[in-house]
Amino acid sequence: VSSIDATPGSATTRASLLHREVLQLGGLLVLAIGAFFLTRAVASNNRDTTLRDAAEWYRRGQVEMAGGHLDDAIESLRRATVRNRGDRRYALTLARALTLKGDYDAARARLLTLRDFTPDDPDINLQLARLAADRRDVTEALRFYRSALYAPWPPEQFPARPQIRLELIRFLLAHDQTGRAQSELLAMATELPDDIALRVEAAELFVTAGDTAHALEQFQHALRIAPDNALSLVGAGQAAFRLGNYALARTYLQRAPAAMADAGKTREVVELVLSMDPLAGRIGSTERRRRLLTAFSYAQQRLDGCIAESAGDPGANEGLGIRDDVRRFAGQLKPTALLEQDAVEAGLDLIERIEQHVTARCAPTTVLDQALVLIGRVHGAAGR
Amino acid sequence: VSTPNDPLAPIRQLRLRENQVFLVLTIVIGIIAGLSAVLFTVAIEQTSHRLFGLAPSRLRLFAIPPLMSVVTGLLLAKVFPGVRGSGVPQTEAAYHLSGGVIPWRVPVGKFITGVLCIGSGHSMGREGPSVQIGAGVASVIGRWLGLSPGRVRDLVPVGAAGALAAAFNTPVAAVLFALEEIIGDMNASLIGSTVVASVSAVIVERSILGNEPLFHVPTYRLVHPAELAAYAALGVVGGCVSLLFCKGLLELRSVFLRLPQQTKILQPAMGGLAIGAMLVFWPAIMGVGYEYVDQALNGGLLLKTMALLCFLKLAATLISYASGNAGGIFAPSLYIGAMAGGAVGLIVHRYAPFPTADPGAYALVGMGTLFAGIIRAPMTSVFMIFEITQDYQILVPLMVANMLSFLISRRYQPLPVYLALLQQDGIHLPSPPTQSPTGARAARHVMHVDVPFISPETSVADAWGWALQHEAPAYLVGAREHLVGAVTRQQLEAASASDQARASIRSLVGATIAHVHPDHSLDVVLDRLAESGGALPVVSRTEARRVEGVITHDSLLAGASRRA
Repeated sequence: VSSIDATPGSATTRASLLHREVLQLGGLLVLAIGAFFLTRAVASNNRDTTLRDAAEWYRRGQVEMAGGHLDDAIESLRRATVRNRGDRRYALTLARALTLKGDYDAARARLLTLRDFTPDDPDINLQLARLAADRRDVTEALRFYRSALYAPWPPEQFPARPQIRLELIRFLLAHDQTGRAQSELLAMATELPDDIALRVEAAELFVTAGDTAHALEQFQHALRIAPDNALSLVGAGQAAFRLGNYALARTYLQRAPAAMADAGKTREVVELVLSMDPLAGRIGSTERRRRLLTAFSYAQQRLDGCIAESAGDPGANEGLGIRDDVRRFAGQLKPTALLEQDAVEAGLDLIERIEQHVTARCAPTTVLDQALVLIGRVHGAAGR
Repeated sequence: VSTPNDPLAPIRQLRLRENQVFLVLTIVIGIIAGLSAVLFTVAIEQTSHRLFGLAPSRLRLFAIPPLMSVVTGLLLAKVFPGVRGSGVPQTEAAYHLSGGVIPWRVPVGKFITGVLCIGSGHSMGREGPSVQIGAGVASVIGRWLGLSPGRVRDLVPVGAAGALAAAFNTPVAAVLFALEEIIGDMNASLIGSTVVASVSAVIVERSILGNEPLFHVPTYRLVHPAELAAYAALGVVGGCVSLLFCKGLLELRSVFLRLPQQTKILQPAMGGLAIGAMLVFWPAIMGVGYEYVDQALNGGLLLKTMALLCFLKLAATLISYASGNAGGIFAPSLYIGAMAGGAVGLIVHRYAPFPTADPGAYALVGMGTLFAGIIRAPMTSVFMIFEITQDYQILVPLMVANMLSFLISRRYQPLPVYLALLQQDGIHLPSPPTQSPTGARAARHVMHVDVPFISPETSVADAWGWALQHEAPAYLVGAREHLVGAVTRQQLEAASASDQARASIRSLVGATIAHVHPDHSLDVVLDRLAESGGALPVVSRTEARRVEGVITHDSLLAGASRRA
C-alpha cells in the first residue's frame, strides 16, 4: 500500500504488492478471529467467577436478612445485584430488604430500574404496588397492582393472581375507594376458582363494599362447593337477611351452627319477622289481624313507657304526637271488620315510627324491636 | 478515470485500493481494539478478584496496593517507560507530534501495568488505558502493513474510538471523543473511519459481554421547570470540584516530578502505601468503583456517605495518578461526579420548595458534569450520559449543568488537564489557532539554526564580556538539549555593573521562557518575540527544553526577504 508514493511499477510488482496485502489482511483477520475466541473464553470464565461471587453474596444477604441484620444484608445484596444484574431474585430481595429497613425511595428506585427492563414482570410490579400501598399512594398502587394482575404470569404462579386482586381490593376498601373496589370484585368474581376460602373472602369483601347481592351469590357459590360450610351458611344467611329475603335467610341460618357469632341473634330476628309479619303470604285474615294487633300493642306499650320516662324533655312532644296518631288509628280499627291492605300498611308505618322514636330516645333495642322495624321497612312507607 | 495509455493509472489503482484496504482495516482495527478493551476489563476484574477475594481482610487491603506498586514501579521505570498515567495525553501526543507512531511496547506495557495497578486497588480508570492500547495496536498494525505515514497517523483515533466504544459501550460518545479530544477537530475527515471502528468494536463487545449498559439507571425526567435551577447549581458545584481535581492533580504531580530521579521507581509504591491506608478505612474508593456509582444512581447512599466518598475518591485518584501509576481519570471523574451529584440531589430533594426528581437523576447529571469539567469534552460528556441512559429527557438538564461546569473549569484552569499533564512532561501539543496553515510560513522558516548558548554556570561578568563580542539583543542560557532560559543584553549589562557580577547567570533567568514551536504561525512569532526581549527560542514540541533554533528580528527580516 505504501507504494502509492512510488513510481508506477510493472504488473509483477503490483501483483506482488497485492499478494502481500491480501496475505497481511488475511493474517490479521485470522489473528482477530483467534483473539475473539480467546477473549470470549476468558470473558466467559470471568463471568462464571462473577456469577459465583454474586450467588455467594446473595446467600450471605439472605442469611443476614433472616438474622435481622438489615444493613449488612443490604450491602451483600447490593454486591450480588451489581455482579449479576440478570437474576432478578437478587434485586427483588434487595428491594425487600430496603423496604424492611424503611428506605422506600431506594427500594422504589431499584424496582423501577428493574421494571424498565422487564415492564411486564408480575413480581416487580407487585412489589412496586406494595411499596405504593405502604406510602398510601392510591393511584400508583392501583397502577402497579393492575400491571401485576395483567402481567403474563407463568402457569405455575397463575393461582396467585386472585390473591393479588384480593390484596388490591382490601387496599382500595381501606382507602375508601369503594367504587373501584366493587369493579375489581366483579372482575375477580368471573375468574375465581372453585376455592371455598377465596369465595368466602370475596363474598365478605362484597359485603364490605356494600354489594350484598353479589356477596350472596358468592356465598351461594361456596355452598354449592361445600354445602355444610359454616362460614358460607352464616354469610349467605346474613346476606339474605340484609337483602330482606328473610325466608331464604332462615333457610341458611337454620343450617348454620347457632354458636357462631351473630348467627343466633340474626336467626331469632328472622324468626320473629317471619312469624309476626301481618302481610306475610298464605295467612288468614284472623291471623293477619292478630299479628298486627300484637305488634301494635307491643309498640304502644313501648311508646307509653318511653313518654313516661322522658316527660319534661324538649323532644317529648314528638312522642305525644305519635301517641295521638296511635289513638286515632286504634279508634279506626273495628274489632270484627276485615282489615284492608291499606290499613295494615298504615299500621306498620306507625309501628315503625314508634320503634324509631323509642330506639332514639328511650330503651335499648330488643330483638322484637328490630323485627318490627324490619317488618315496617319491608311493607311500610320505606318499603313501598 | 484513466485512459489505456495513462501513465498514472497504476498509481490511481493503488490509491483506490489503499482506500479499500483502509476501510477493511478500520473494521479489523475496530474489532481488535474492541477485543483489547474487553480483555483489559476482564483482566482487571480477574486480577482484583484473585488479589482481594470476595471479602478482603484489612491486612490485604493495606498491603496489596503498595506491594503490587513495587512491581509496577519497576516495570514502569525499567521495561515500559512512557506508559504511566492515563494514556489519553500520550495518544494525543503520538497523533499530533509523532505521526501516529506508537511503539509496540506501549500497548503491551499499558495492558500489563494497567491491569496490575487498577486490579490492585488503585483509584484509577480503565478507559484511558484502553484508549492508548487501542491506538497503540492500530499504530502497530498500520506500520506492520506498511501503510503510508499519513494513514498510520489516521489509524490512531480509529483505534482509540474502537477501544473506548467497547470500554464504555457507548459508540457515539467514543466517536465524539476521538474527534473532540484526540484529533481536536469535530469536522475531521476521519469521522467515517472512527464510526466504522466504533461500531465494529461495540458489536464485538456486545457479542462477548452482552448488551448490558454500563449502569442500570431508572428513567428520569424533569419533574418541575424550576429544577433547571437546581441542575445549574449542580453545574457550579461540578465546575468547582473539577477545578479542585485538575489543580490538585497538577500540583501533586509536580511535587512527585520534583523528587529526585532515583525515587522514580519507588513513587508508585509511595502512592500505593497511601492508597492501602485509605482502603483499610474506606474500601469503597477501590479501583474503578462503578459498583458505588451504580448505588448512587439508584438512590442507595446517604448524603454524608456520598459527600465523603466524593472527596475521598478525589484524593485517592490524585495520589494514584500523581505517583506515576498506570490508569486513567475517566472512571474516577464519573465516580466523583456521581457522588457530588447525588449529594446535591439529596439536598435539593429534601429542601427544594418544588417537586424534584430522585437524587439518582442528579447523580447521573453529576457524572456528565465532572466529565465535562475535568476531561473538557462537553459534547462527549453529553452523549455519553445520553447513551448510558438512553433517555432523551435528561439531555436539557445535562447540557445546562455540563456547560456551566465546563465554563467554570475553563475560566480558572485555561489549559485542559491532558494538555497540562503533557506540558509537565515537556510536551507542548499544537492548538489549532496558533498553528500555521499548511503551506504558510511558520516559525521554522524564519529561525536561525546556528544558536549560541551561554552556559548557566558562567558568571555574569564573564557572560557580559562574551556578550560584548557578540552583539545581540538577548542570549539563550543553557545548551541545545536543555534550555534554561534567556537574558537580555540590558539585564546582563545592569547585572555586571552591580554586586551580581560574580553570581552565575542562572540567577538572572526567569521562571518562564517565552518560546515558540516550529509549526507556530508568524503572528504568534511576532507576539512572542516582543515578549522575549529579542531572542525567541524555537523549541521542540515533544521535548520543550530542546532548542531547534532561535528567532531574532534579523532572522525574521531575512526569512521575509527570502520569501520575497
